[in-house]
Amino acid sequence: MSTAETYDRFEELDAGRALGDLSLEEVKEWKKLVKDQQSEKSSDFDWISVELEIENSETCPLPSSLVTRLKSTIPAFTKIEARDSSPTKIVSILPWLGWAAAACLLFFFNLPDVDTLVQAPELTAAQKLEELVRVAPETQRLAFSPASDTYEDISGEVIWNDDRQEGYMSLVNLPINDPTKNQYQLWIVDPERDELPVDGGVFDIPTGSETAVIPIRNTLQVSQPTVFVITLEQPGGVVKSKQEIVVALAKS
Amino acid sequence: MHLRNFILFSNIDSFHFALGIVASEGSQSNADESLLPLVAKGDGQAMKRCINVYGPLVWSIVCRRINERNDAEETCQEIFTEVWQKAGTYNPEVARESTFIGMIARRRSIDWQRKQSRLPMLTDLESAPEASSAIPIAGTGLDRELLWKALEQLPEKTRELFSLHFVKGMTHEEIVKETGLALGTVKTRLRRGLIDARKLLKDFTQQKNPKL
Repeated sequence: MSTAETYDRFEELDAGRALGDLSLEEVKEWKKLVKDQQSEKSSDFDWISVELEIENSETCPLPSSLVTRLKSTIPAFTKIEARDSSPTKIVSILPWLGWAAAACLLFFFNLPDVDTLVQAPELTAAQKLEELVRVAPETQRLAFSPASDTYEDISGEVIWNDDRQEGYMSLVNLPINDPTKNQYQLWIVDPERDELPVDGGVFDIPTGSETAVIPIRNTLQVSQPTVFVITLEQPGGVVKSKQEIVVALAKS
Repeated sequence: MHLRNFILFSNIDSFHFALGIVASEGSQSNADESLLPLVAKGDGQAMKRCINVYGPLVWSIVCRRINERNDAEETCQEIFTEVWQKAGTYNPEVARESTFIGMIARRRSIDWQRKQSRLPMLTDLESAPEASSAIPIAGTGLDRELLWKALEQLPEKTRELFSLHFVKGMTHEEIVKETGLALGTVKTRLRRGLIDARKLLKDFTQQKNPKL
């Protein structure tokens, strides 16, 4: 493939990335082109897509219960360290307005009574775990064991439900981490799916937590997972772990 | 008048007028209030205001793609967490706050859809909205007027697909059902449409600013 053809292909895939329609193979190809050809990442397609979408979206008020929930999490946000910006380009885009009201209305017609929503308390991860076990007693439970002497005090278990694609880790004595230096990441091995483990989400152990309940945030659907692995990675996690620091494992 | 016709109008404002939709002063002034620099400094009050001001925009984007209430709320929470995390990378010289936040909302919502289809999520692939890796169009960024001008030059079939996808929020599969086109054709035309729109936009930008 010539340089021009390679660029054309990258451009096509990059447009697909902005549209969100890349297949599994195309994702791999996009990554390879970026790596091999050092193709320039551009946000142009993203800007155009967002402009098209928000220009024609009528805004829908946030449910009051969600506003309350979002604002209640703000104190937790303050632990996140913000990064500096580096100006590079100018974009001029009109503020959003438009008419996706029909979609919003359809959505709201299916909602329960507003008062019920306002009063519905948000469950903690621990409560959600208990609820999951209560409503789905067949949920898979596996014990964590330390992967090395460094983490010999670790114990706990992973609770996973295939049907609901929902799971939690209950972790004891996992060392507190500094999110600006490293973060824990869960990996789920699903032999039915792929040789590569599925990313189960990045998480932190905050100060004062001897026992922590962490929700699993799998990026792909998994079924009948056989191994759960916790690694320590760079802040934000990684796409593919080198497994340089393996913290704990839970095997079926 | 069908919504899909919006993009066929030579002047989007005339279409707004035709439907009786006019941007209010309030909506203009509420958006883009320079909240993100304050959020980046850890200002909780600014974050609350950010939720008030941009929550409706985020919710509308999320609800276009996610029809499960709990998932929509969860995604919304993830979006604002990401807004908080990335507020420090926001640069008002690069984009308006609504665009910056809209991009995060759009990506998170698309990733939710992809997760349902067992496809890899794309968030990790993307560089924007961090300005550091963004390559501006023709060196100056995106001029909205020129964008609409560029869109008018696209083939009618492409504009119709744009309308179905971006205005009505249809997935490719839904567009296939609506139009009877093959999935590959829909995919190719949408991608090609974006590529052509960018090229036209660059050309128009350079015509307008020959020194660039």
